[in-house]
Amino acid sequence: MKRVLPIILVSIVVGQWSGNTATNMGVGQKEIGLFTPYRMGLNNGSELIINKFVLMPSIGIKQEQTMFGNWQRARIFRVEYPTMGMKWLQSPLGMKLGEPDMFALISPEFDIPHMISLYGEMIGTTGSPWAGQISLYSGAGFALGGEKLDGRSTIDLPGFYSRFSVYYNGFIIKSGGEYLRQFKEQWSYIVDYDMYIMPGGAGRYSFEQKGLIVWTKSPKLQIHFGYKLIAGEYPFGAQAHLFPALDFIWRSDAKHN
Amino acid sequence: MKYYFKYILSITAGMLLTSCDPLVNQFADIEDAVMYRASNIKNAEAKKSIKVMTWNIRFGVARLDFFGDGCGDRAILGKSEVVKGLEGLAAKINAEDPDIVLLQEVDVQSKKTAYIDQAQWLLDHTDLNYGAYGSMWEAQVILADGLGRVNTGNLTLSKWELKDAERHQLPLRSDQDGLTQYFYLRRNVLKAKVVMPGNSFYAVNTHLTAFATDDTKQKHITGFKDILDGIVAEGKNFVAGGDLNALPPNASKLDYCIEDQCSGESYHTGGESNHKEGAYFAPEITWLSSLYQTYTPAISLSEYGEQEGQHYTHSPFDRLQLDRKLDYLWTNTNWNNGTTHQGATSLSDHIPVTADWMVK
Repeated sequence: MKRVLPIILVSIVVGQWSGNTATNMGVGQKEIGLFTPYRMGLNNGSELIINKFVLMPSIGIKQEQTMFGNWQRARIFRVEYPTMGMKWLQSPLGMKLGEPDMFALISPEFDIPHMISLYGEMIGTTGSPWAGQISLYSGAGFALGGEKLDGRSTIDLPGFYSRFSVYYNGFIIKSGGEYLRQFKEQWSYIVDYDMYIMPGGAGRYSFEQKGLIVWTKSPKLQIHFGYKLIAGEYPFGAQAHLFPALDFIWRSDAKHN
Repeated sequence: MKYYFKYILSITAGMLLTSCDPLVNQFADIEDAVMYRASNIKNAEAKKSIKVMTWNIRFGVARLDFFGDGCGDRAILGKSEVVKGLEGLAAKINAEDPDIVLLQEVDVQSKKTAYIDQAQWLLDHTDLNYGAYGSMWEAQVILADGLGRVNTGNLTLSKWELKDAERHQLPLRSDQDGLTQYFYLRRNVLKAKVVMPGNSFYAVNTHLTAFATDDTKQKHITGFKDILDGIVAEGKNFVAGGDLNALPPNASKLDYCIEDQCSGESYHTGGESNHKEGAYFAPEITWLSSLYQTYTPAISLSEYGEQEGQHYTHSPFDRLQLDRKLDYLWTNTNWNNGTTHQGATSLSDHIPVTADWMVK
């Protein structure tokens, strides 16, 4: 359990927030990553996005929109129920306060109420992988039930703080962009930028910038590696962190009608 | 495939090792202390008699039910609770008006105490002007109990400027596994030169291990004394003190297992021979003898022996009846008016000890 715990912890927070192009997957095509959510192309121009971490259930749908000039457009709606996951984070190994309660990121002294968040996003993509593909997005979310959540129970760590902030503040704005360019048959790179605005929180903003090399080992496997820079404000002040980034993404073939 | 895979893993592992901030600050053997200064500097004249105080302030949470050092069920305290605790400490410090204060368990950026910088807060709410801080536990996150970010340690406050302040690392506990040790406390001795007009001397502050079950505490006492010996060898004088987590050699009671047990624990009631960590002092009762033999304590052994109960400085949990002496002041010259402030039992789980140091 201790060996897989870091993957679960990272999956909790990145699983439901990744994927920044307006392009949908093919009908019946499925994709899952070590740190990214399960996706499946539907036959009505939509894509289903599910967080594979069952204690943090989240389901989203990406729907294609009409073109705007050269821009392909899509919208995303997502709903998330964090209560079970946050309770699990109070005692991941089932231990009590002081035993010690190993890997607990939230003190078990706090009650975690039933909460739900709703998030909507517009996204536009133009260009092509070989010539360079740009995606821009902007979205907002709000939460219900978070008013009963104790403000001291925040996880003041990069990645966690911004993604849980909607439950403490009630509202979040997110925007950003991604540039993808293919430079060899099996190789491409991604430069990605995300900005979280968290009005009313002790930490008010977070910026995340990612640089990835993508190796398409086969049509069914992609390996992403690079770095992720997270700079933001937390209840104790501002801090920046640089992390290595690595992910394995498996994708099935689309159905051919 | 294998070639590329190894290449990718090597790059990623390299980034992991070189780019991430360490979770825990492990400290060098000797480091500069973190220096503080009051927002408003108050005038401080030279004196012939200096009042010195030592106090473990339990990170400003008074007797609240913190889980880590007692039987409490709380890990993260509220800002108003911490400010109230600090106000009580500042009121006592202002009433005693010490010139040098040696504090232990001071939080400067800890989630458990609402991230209040207690060093700056105390400087700004007392007549003390300068501070030197040496952390004993600095981590971006403690992966247990929801503690989160921690920075707590020793703080020396002075009316006069502090210079050449150094944090001297003491040995880590050697009775823990590697993972626990990595995230655990790093005890230290904080040494600073007090620059009083016309005279300078050293203030030395420490907080030694409480729960080690091997000879780590003895190593800490030796490390503390070595620093004092070094000052004397330089021909300088010192005032020193702190929470040594050790009893005087003539203490009458050595086993506190029953007093310190939490609900659900049982010691010595059914013939158990095991002892609670930090509650059984018999094997180590002579460890402070070398300090007593070499230097002058604010409360002499004979005075302690005659009025033992009057010089207890600690009781655990929310129990206000003090039951042991753990806090000390030392010098290589002489003290007057050594006082154990037993009226301050509600302000921390330790009480302050003060004495007047005659400047030479």
